[in-house]
Formats: sequence, structure tokens, C-alpha cells
Amino acid sequence: MMSSATLIRRAAPVLACIGLLAVWQVASLALKNDSFPTAIDAIRAIPDILGDKESLINILASLRRMAIGFGVAVLVSIPLGLLMGRSRSVAAFFNPLLMVIYPVPKAALMPIIMLWLGVGDVTKTLVIFLGVSLPVIYHSFEGAKAVEEKMLWSGAAMGLSPARRLVRIVLPAALPEILTGCRTGLVLALITMITSEMIARQSGAGNILFNALDMGQYDTVFAMIIIVGAMGICLDAIFERVRARLVRWSEPQFDMPLSFS
Amino acid sequence: MTVVPARSSEWVRPVRSQEPASAIIEIDRVSQVFQTSARKDHVALSDISLTIEEGAFVSILGPSGCGKSTLLYIVGGFVSPTSGSAKIKGHAITRPGPDRGPVFQEFALFPWKTVLGNVMYGPRQQGVRAAEAEAQSLALIEMVGLKGYESFYPKELSGGMKQRVALARTLAYHPEVLLMDEPFGALDAHTRTRLQNDLLNIWERDRKTVLFVTHSVDEAVFLSDKVVMMSKSPGRIREVIDIDLPRPRRRNELLLDPRYQKYIVDIERMFDESDEAGQAS
Ligand SMILES: Nc1ncnc2c1ncn2[C@@H]1O[C@H](COP(=O)(O)OP(=O)(O)OP(=O)(O)O)[C@@H](O)[C@H]1O
Ligand SMILES: [Mg+2]
Repeated sequence: MMSSATLIRRAAPVLACIGLLAVWQVASLALKNDSFPTAIDAIRAIPDILGDKESLINILASLRRMAIGFGVAVLVSIPLGLLMGRSRSVAAFFNPLLMVIYPVPKAALMPIIMLWLGVGDVTKTLVIFLGVSLPVIYHSFEGAKAVEEKMLWSGAAMGLSPARRLVRIVLPAALPEILTGCRTGLVLALITMITSEMIARQSGAGNILFNALDMGQYDTVFAMIIIVGAMGICLDAIFERVRARLVRWSEPQFDMPLSFS
Repeated sequence: MTVVPARSSEWVRPVRSQEPASAIIEIDRVSQVFQTSARKDHVALSDISLTIEEGAFVSILGPSGCGKSTLLYIVGGFVSPTSGSAKIKGHAITRPGPDRGPVFQEFALFPWKTVLGNVMYGPRQQGVRAAEAEAQSLALIEMVGLKGYESFYPKELSGGMKQRVALARTLAYHPEVLLMDEPFGALDAHTRTRLQNDLLNIWERDRKTVLFVTHSVDEAVFLSDKVVMMSKSPGRIREVIDIDLPRPRRRNELLLDPRYQKYIVDIERMFDESDEAGQAS
């Protein structure tokens, strides 16, 4: 049996989605604007997109670039962030570099990268890579810095070399923080994926969206927005499951409600 | 827990073995100066010299902030002293090693490992086969009274339980010297007494050298061959007192022993005197 509290928690996201669609439906009926289709019209357009082979190939190509960009970024950023967190000289070397890149919107770099690498997959994947790297580096860095010194001392007394301490102690100890960074990175990967395809129109989910916009097919535009949004929700939910499993040992035992009434 | 009934013959046994004891740890004129954030020098330890014999149980007793932990870290090789030197078996201590096993005041357990995982960590690190390491670790966990908690994570344990896991984790890799920083400070009186007895049993069995930091005068007298009394600001050795009480020690007998009582009274009086001297200056 599910308790009523669990039931409410499970139902809440579904209710939120239904609520949002209802507000949308009412608003678009009230506004009667051509460029603002009703929620029902937008949803009706979804099967057409997903049923079309060309569109499907485009969306899958987007997801592939996103996966590669995200994966490579995580593989590079975690070791770099951990090293920066444990070594002052590594941090001193990379910090200024990262501070230069951090505030620049990664999509703004695209035109330059396109000049070097063309408008193909490499450019778009590289932009996703850049977008994902920074939050992952930052959170890995903070996580590694916060590792309790006595834990490292305990490892040293057991005979772990500095390199092994980084892998066997700093990495697991910082994992909750690292995964927070990865979660932010995943959302950013989706955002940069779409923006990169907006700038370099050639293929991808972003390409479908902006082409439809140019042609005034607003049903398709909003259907694509729903599809991308759903992708975001699914990816985040999958990631959250993996995360919760990996760091079960660190989750707080007691939920602290915001109000005590 | 193994409570062996005291036989009178054991009381006749000499306090220490007859063979000449050799020094295992030599601390020679060690000072430790910290830079505080206000950019002032803070002398935590001043001119500490101390020799610890192999197999001895030595307690360090002193007020909070007198540098007990710092001294332990220096022997552990975690901190290098500002001046002076520390040696183990004649070799200068430059870094930590499995010959010296620390039990920290803050436990420092690995939160991502279960109780069993924590205790097995050291032996596994030293290449002990998994099955063997597990069997040894389970025995240690039982010894510290945590049977049934093997699969618990540190966050699921009370403070006293964490402390016991920390002790088991260090014992598991058989260091020659145990460096214990107020290991029983957070425990209730009952568990504390039990663990003191267990520690003495282990120590009497394999005669590890123990350097034991504590706030408690009777704990120091009960456990030790030697009590090092420290004073504060700057941290100095005030007195080193040999505790000539027979072993194995039984708490119920010792509590009635006038010699034991006298040690406690004497040490407490010395601390009171230094308090008064401190207030007068
Ligand atoms: N990393 C540090 N930086 C600056 N000062 C320090 C540092 N570590 C310790 N000290 C200072 O050195 C002194 C001794 O500290 P220590 O932790 O060794 O004391 P202690 O005797 O173990 O105290 P307690 O019984 O409370 O654990 C204290 O005055 C403390 O403020
Ligand atoms: Mg201390």
C-alpha cells in the first residue's frame, strides 16, 4: 500500500504538467494569436514529428552529439577539478584560464569555432563540451577542497600514495558534489545543444524548431518545445536515479520541512 | 568480551619484562609554531623531548589546547615540526606509514563505506585477500561491540559507535604503534569501561606501543605505564610519571588499591597547582 504522502509526491509532477497545459490552453484561446497555438494543437503535432523518419534522425543526431559532448566533458572535468581542489599550484595554473571562459556564453564562441572547424558535428559537440565542463570542474573543485583532512591522513597511514588517495578517497568523498555539477552540466548540455543548432543550421532538433519558426509552422515549433522539454525532464529523472543510487550513503536521514506549523 | 578472573599469581608478575626495553619513538626538542590568521605566531608545542619504549603504554594528559593532538600528528608524520625531530626505530619521521596507526578525535571514517568496508579498508590496501580481511574485520567489529551493524553506513551510527569503528579500522591493519587521540572521550561510562578493558586485553596480548591522549586522569592511570603531564601556552611537558601498578589490571581491584588512588590524587593536585600558578601570573 502506498501512503497518502507518497501518493501526493508521485502525483505532484503529473498534476503540475496538466496544470501548465491547462493554463496554456486557456491563455491561447483568450489571446487568439496565430503564433500562439493551443496546447492541444501543439500536442497533436507531436506524432507527426516523431513519425517522420527525417525528423527522428535529426533528433537522434542531436542526442548523440549531446551524449558525446557531455561524456567527454565529464571525463576531462572531474579529474581536472579534483586535482585543482587538492593542489594549489594546479589551481593557480587553471583558475585564470577558466575565469576567462566562464562568463562567456558558450554559444557566442560558435561563430569563431565554426571558422576553424566548420559547421559540422565537431563544432557543435565542442560547444556542448565547453558548456558542460565549467560547472563540472567547479563542483569537483569545491568537493575536493572540502574533503576532510583527517580522512586523507587515515588513508596515508594505511599506505595509500597521493595518486591513490585522489582516486580512492577524494573522488568518492567528493562524489555528491561532483554529481551536483554533472546534473547542472546535463541541463546545460541540452541548452547548448539547441543553441548550437540554432546557430549552425544543418541538422538536429534545434534545426527542426527554427526552420518551422521561419516557415510560420507554429504548431510544430511548440511541439518541438514540448519534445525538448520532455527530453530534459526524462534525462534529469534518469540522472537523478543514478545519482541517488551512487550517493545513498550521504543523503540526509531526516527531511527538514520548510515550515514547522 | 573476555573477562578473565584475576589469579593471585598474576599480581606477583613483574610490571615490565626483564629484557632491556628499547626506544621505539624518540621525540627530540620538538617545537611547533602556528601562524594564526592574524599573522601572529602561536607556539603550540615548545621544546618537547620524550622517549617511548617499545611496547609501552604512554598517556598524554593535559588541558584542552596544550598541543596533545599536535604532538600525536607529529609522531604520525602528518605534520612536520617547526624545529626538532621525531624518530621511529632510529629513522626520522617524514611521512605517515602503516607502522603508526592513528585513531582521530574526529573519527574520520569513510562515509561511503559501510562499517565492514571501513574496517576492511586498511588490510585490503595492504594486499590481504578479501576473504581473510573480511573474517578478521568481522572479529574486530564484534570485539568493539558492533556485531549486527556491519552493513551500516557511518551516518547511521551514533558518535560512540563511530568512535568504535574508527578504533577497529586502525587495529585492522596491525600498526606497531597506536596513536589514539581521546578515543573514548565521546563514550558513555559503561562503554568506555568496556573498551578500556578490551584495549588493555589487546595490548597485553600483542604489546603494541600505545600513545594515548586523554583528558581523564583515572583513565590515564588505569591504562598506562607512563603518564606525560602537559601544561598549556606554550605546550610543554610538565612531568612524566611512571605508573607502577601490577598487570594485568582489573578495574574492580584497582579502584580499591590505595596506590592507584594515590596516583590520581597526586596528579590532580599537580594540575591544580599549575592552574593556580597560571592564574597568579
Ligand atoms: N592548524 C593550526 N593552525 C593554527 N593553530 C593551530 C592549528 N592546529 C592547532 N593549533 C593551535 O595549537 C594549539 C594546540 O592544539 P591541539 O589541537 O594540539 O590541542 P589539544 O591539546 O589536542 O586540545 P584538545 O584537548 O582540546 O583536543 C591550540 O592552541 C590550537 O589553537
Ligand atoms: Mg586534541
